[in-house]
Amino acid sequence: MSRIFVTGMGVISAIGNSVAENHHALKLATCGVRNELDLFPSKYAGILPFGQVQISTDTLQKKLSVTEPGVTRTTMLAMHAFEEAVKDAGISAPDLTSFDTALVGASTVGGMCLTDELYNDANTNHEGSVYTSSYDCASVCMYLQKHYKINGIVNTINTACSSSANAIMYGAMLIKNGFAKRAIVGGSDSLAKFTINGFNALHILSPDKCTPFDENRQGLNLGEGAAFLVLEKEEDINGKKVYAELSGYCNTNDAYHPSSLSEQGDGPFLSMQGALQVANLLPGQIDFINAHGTGTENNDEVESRAMIRLFDKPPAFISTKANIGHTLGAAGAIEAVYSIFSLMHQEVYPNLHFINPIPSTGLIPVQSYKKMAVQHVMSNSFGFGGNCSSLVFSKV
Amino acid sequence: MLYIHQTYCISPQQTLLQANIDLINEPIDKKLLAIEPSYEQIPAGILRRMGKGIRMGVGAALPLIAQTGFINGIIIGSANAGMDDCIKFLNQIVQYEEGQLTPGSFVQSTSNVIAGQLGLISKNKGYNITHVHLGLAFENALIDAMMQLNANPTNSYLLGGVDEISSYHYNIETLAGTYKKESISNKQLYEADSPGCIAGEGATMFIVNADAANAVAKVTAISTLHTINIELVTQQLKIFLQKNVPEGMKIDLLISGENGDNRTLPFYTACESVLVDDTPVVRYKHIIGDYATASATGLWYACQVLQSQILPQHMFKISSTKKESRNILMYNNFKGRQHSFILISGA
Repeated sequence: MSRIFVTGMGVISAIGNSVAENHHALKLATCGVRNELDLFPSKYAGILPFGQVQISTDTLQKKLSVTEPGVTRTTMLAMHAFEEAVKDAGISAPDLTSFDTALVGASTVGGMCLTDELYNDANTNHEGSVYTSSYDCASVCMYLQKHYKINGIVNTINTACSSSANAIMYGAMLIKNGFAKRAIVGGSDSLAKFTINGFNALHILSPDKCTPFDENRQGLNLGEGAAFLVLEKEEDINGKKVYAELSGYCNTNDAYHPSSLSEQGDGPFLSMQGALQVANLLPGQIDFINAHGTGTENNDEVESRAMIRLFDKPPAFISTKANIGHTLGAAGAIEAVYSIFSLMHQEVYPNLHFINPIPSTGLIPVQSYKKMAVQHVMSNSFGFGGNCSSLVFSKV
Repeated sequence: MLYIHQTYCISPQQTLLQANIDLINEPIDKKLLAIEPSYEQIPAGILRRMGKGIRMGVGAALPLIAQTGFINGIIIGSANAGMDDCIKFLNQIVQYEEGQLTPGSFVQSTSNVIAGQLGLISKNKGYNITHVHLGLAFENALIDAMMQLNANPTNSYLLGGVDEISSYHYNIETLAGTYKKESISNKQLYEADSPGCIAGEGATMFIVNADAANAVAKVTAISTLHTINIELVTQQLKIFLQKNVPEGMKIDLLISGENGDNRTLPFYTACESVLVDDTPVVRYKHIIGDYATASATGLWYACQVLQSQILPQHMFKISSTKKESRNILMYNNFKGRQHSFILISGA
């Protein structure tokens, strides 16, 4: 089957509104997580830290010239990243609307960022808002499809926090199987009262800035953002710029618990191992891992254990969730872009706020920016429901 | 291409083990609610905490997984799985003003809860995914299964479509004008000439692999499209048939997703007119209602035809003069915007 290349990228997160801004911020070890939340009223605003994108919903709407009612922040974040990726890949207008251009998105929040509107519509307290068809996770891609007139296969995947890693994988499979010539793949989620209260009820929100892989980590910070990648096959490149090859991918299930990982990390182990097999690589050939690293007690320890099981001595690794928070359905795509930065620039970024290793594993993430040779990078995404996915990107 | 081996269908009609598709259950309170089995394979403690959609999805899948022994992965299409728990949690947030909340509903609110529970209960650590793209959620799951089998031809997968009528989702869809305002019996549905459909629900599961031996049916091709333009739909149908129906082969039966909504009827009529004049047409949404993943149950009816060559008369829009249906086309339209063509034939 054909090799799949990344030819365009777009990203928006708490540390920047573009690929260039995100790259610059990672190099400077920027933490975009702050005790700031002004998107909607919440009792946790100003008390808990969040990775909020530094553009208001109104400004996004103006910038993207969205005039219809009922378009949510989640959708607009997606549009912002989508437009950057499509422009970056130089996809012409006819190519964008051709029957062989696929769009695969992912979201876990969708229009539920409108918690109060949804509450009213679901309980029919009134006539029905302009948002009645905007709540589901598919509403993001449904809008992108209509707005950009996508005629190829369109899909939305929700495997919780591994959603957009699976969107990338599905897009690559569509190309390999001849269902599409090119695929625009990614994910988007915005901060929502719904997820804030959900993770809070599970007692896994950190009261302070999260400290992935640190002994005294206290939980995760929620973030928001979006990223899209353009995937094309090798035969269609014709001298276009190529950022990386998507060389491996694997999706597994931990089959242990609805909201936490098994002690030995079977799901994470199998997804990392499977991705290596698809890429036809040995563990020792992975130079760098962008870990899932949420900063929760359970994830970081289990992920460390799974890395030790597979790699024996794991390669350099970090979690960028200390920079932007956990962006849920967007995390896999945003972190794919960050992983590709390391291939493009032959450098790795620091895992912020780390002090002491987890005693049982002793793993120490990269703590300062440095230049290094990176040929193959792995990106992990794990979610509720036991969903685990790993991607491998390689330097072309 | 993929082969369907086993099927299990929970629907508003008698589609379970001793299927009796001649009987028709009427809508109650404008809803066609699924008839649920006793779910003996779901542990009681877990069953109690499951919403109806999750229960139906898990309950339809476990008997098939048990029969098959081992599957390599779980591929689910569901537009609204977890929606009921999602709103329950939302109500808690608003009512308790973001106080100390219990996380049960939150954990069950993500759409991947059916595939996740299935992985957990059947200890399946393989491929596990949930497609949620509304009226094409099941179609994308089907495409996914085809691609997985292409990459791993010796594997078997559980493939399914599940959606429920939860009271909250029903409210939102009612506000959005999805359902008929008037009460209507199954038999009058297609004569109503009014907007809206009857709400339905169900869970239909299939064991699929690349092995032709003893298969019930094979799915040879699928195509999907988003548009509100009828000409574009018929144009794509013609291309689909040219590409996938070899010279000399005829479509013996069209399984139409017609749902009694006069806003989408023109699409169905236009697609029928693309086929040869005497092509028989059957419809099924007067008996199972309409919902985002109803086409999974449509595919179940296609399997019934291929196995028994018999369908009840109430399903025919254009009667059959043929002895046998070997090649079946399914056309489905969700809310006038999401379209799918699926080609199925005897294995």
